[in-house]
Amino acid sequence: MASAVVNFLNATLDWMTFASDGPSARAVVFGVHIGGHLFIEVFLLVVILFLLSQKSYKPPKRPLTNKEIDELCDEWVPEPLIPSVNKELQYEPPVLESAAGPHTIINGKEVVNFASANYLGFIGHPKLLDSCSSALAKYGVGSCGPRGFYGTIDVHLDCEARIAKFLGTPESILYSYGLSTMFSAIPAFSKKGDIIVADEGVHWGIQNGLYLSRSTVVYFKHNDMDALRETLENITSKYKKTKNLRRYIVVEAVYQNSGQIAPLDEIIKLKEKYRFRVLLDESNSLGVLGSSGRGLTEHCGVPVEKIDIITAAMGHALATEGGFCTGSTRVIDHQRLSSSGYVFSASLPPYLASAAITAIDVLEENPNLIKKLKKNIAFLRKGLSKIPGITIASNPESPIVYLRLEKSRGSVKDDLHLLENIAERVLNEESVFVVVSKRSTLDKCRLPVGIRLFVSAGHSESDLLKASESLKRVVASVLGGHN
Amino acid sequence: MANLYVKAVPPADLNRNTEWFTYPGVWTTYILILFFSWILVLSVFGCSPGIAWTIVNLAHFAVTYHFFHWKKGTPFAEDQGIYNRLTWWEQVDNGKQLTRNRKFLTVVPLVLYLIASHTTDYQNPMFLFNTVAVIVLVVAKFPHMHKVRIFGINADK
Repeated sequence: MASAVVNFLNATLDWMTFASDGPSARAVVFGVHIGGHLFIEVFLLVVILFLLSQKSYKPPKRPLTNKEIDELCDEWVPEPLIPSVNKELQYEPPVLESAAGPHTIINGKEVVNFASANYLGFIGHPKLLDSCSSALAKYGVGSCGPRGFYGTIDVHLDCEARIAKFLGTPESILYSYGLSTMFSAIPAFSKKGDIIVADEGVHWGIQNGLYLSRSTVVYFKHNDMDALRETLENITSKYKKTKNLRRYIVVEAVYQNSGQIAPLDEIIKLKEKYRFRVLLDESNSLGVLGSSGRGLTEHCGVPVEKIDIITAAMGHALATEGGFCTGSTRVIDHQRLSSSGYVFSASLPPYLASAAITAIDVLEENPNLIKKLKKNIAFLRKGLSKIPGITIASNPESPIVYLRLEKSRGSVKDDLHLLENIAERVLNEESVFVVVSKRSTLDKCRLPVGIRLFVSAGHSESDLLKASESLKRVVASVLGGHN
Repeated sequence: MANLYVKAVPPADLNRNTEWFTYPGVWTTYILILFFSWILVLSVFGCSPGIAWTIVNLAHFAVTYHFFHWKKGTPFAEDQGIYNRLTWWEQVDNGKQLTRNRKFLTVVPLVLYLIASHTTDYQNPMFLFNTVAVIVLVVAKFPHMHKVRIFGINADK
């Protein structure tokens, strides 16, 4: 085969050499000797001139035949919009048949509710109910538009002023949806090219905000100040020469995914040393931490103006909906045009804003509620502290009592399955409603999963005792078979 | 009657992969790149001008065949895959044939071939290499070869 090709090439070469040297190529025309070279060159010049003289045209499109269309349609397989949900991820949550107070009804049976973040027991509070009813009579149900259009009601302005007065800040801004507060506030300030240092345990709402901001996100080890210092040091040295760089630290006051409390005094020291800004989410600490419920700043003795941006959802301690961001006037005014959740969403229904005002009033009039809550937290922790196979992972002051498996089963899925089994049996056999961590496919949090008990000031001692005894029995029964 | 209105002219080429060839000065730059490549080859290898032209011609053949007639699609995501099956030569000027740019790109290998063959005095094996290169390049640029895949070579799966 190769020799045949070589022979063919040799024959071709010989022929071309013969053609260029042949006597027929050496004709004499009017005394000028014409060689093969000149022939080739003239030929190519003619080709070039012919090419240049052509007019341009659009090639006609050949329509597809029906057979081709059918083939294309048959072989087309669209990419699925969502990943397939396998059987293990399916989960039917229990359905509440009454208000989510300290006691609620599930499947026709009254249960003790530790699944709702009703920290101050304001759900069903008569003053809040009266406030909502009168606001409904006065304003109707909804606000009919975003704040920038005609969705501003005077009760919104009153609520913003009340929150700022309660927390000791110059101004605050209301959002209509608690979860969207943080993932609207973060993209309002941090843009592509900025840097955000975030705790790896932040909840999904914050993670979504980090993603939407398009900033460079660096996670540090959960609630580890040495890791945070090391991260800030690395970033400061790495971006030393970069100008116009905004730098943020994003933390939660009480972490929803672990019940840990951020050491804000240390964070402020690091913030001032490395010149970062702090975004603090106080959803689970407002109304809970501090002697008068002003949150982590009061709890750690840090002046509130040291925190650049504070956000909180109002669906927890204040028993309403929506969220707010509070801080300096510049921080708040910037969000009135730059925050998606404020500009583009319909504003908070007026009766929910009035409920928030009333909740803050009731909280200020009754500081005993916070003392009661703290006592309940301590009581429940004492009851849960010696269960074999289960350990308390949360901070002693956290209203979220977070129970974690002492020994993991090896994967998040297996752990979740085991914990859901425990929660289901606690609900069915002992009438105590607790909740297991949720890990969607979007969530990047890698902390160990566990059972969360949301303590309320409305729980009685017998409720707390019942919960700890029930968990002790069920955990012994479930883990006894596995260990 | 004076012109009272500004007429909006649509852009000549929306494809970022081929739009650069409509910029002013691109022909001059193209020719200068070839010329300075020749100078560079002369300096580096110290060979005769004919051999240098042959090297430039063959390098031009390799580069332009790969990027103009073999590689498909665009490196930009905004096209949403509309050019995934087209080579650069099929994308240029929105597929219009025998345009000025297409004529220029067809004449360049022919002129390179003339220069290389003339300066090597039509001696083998340079003559063979140059001839094969120019035939492949020019045939690939024929209007009749628009979207044609000979024997399924470089066809889509």
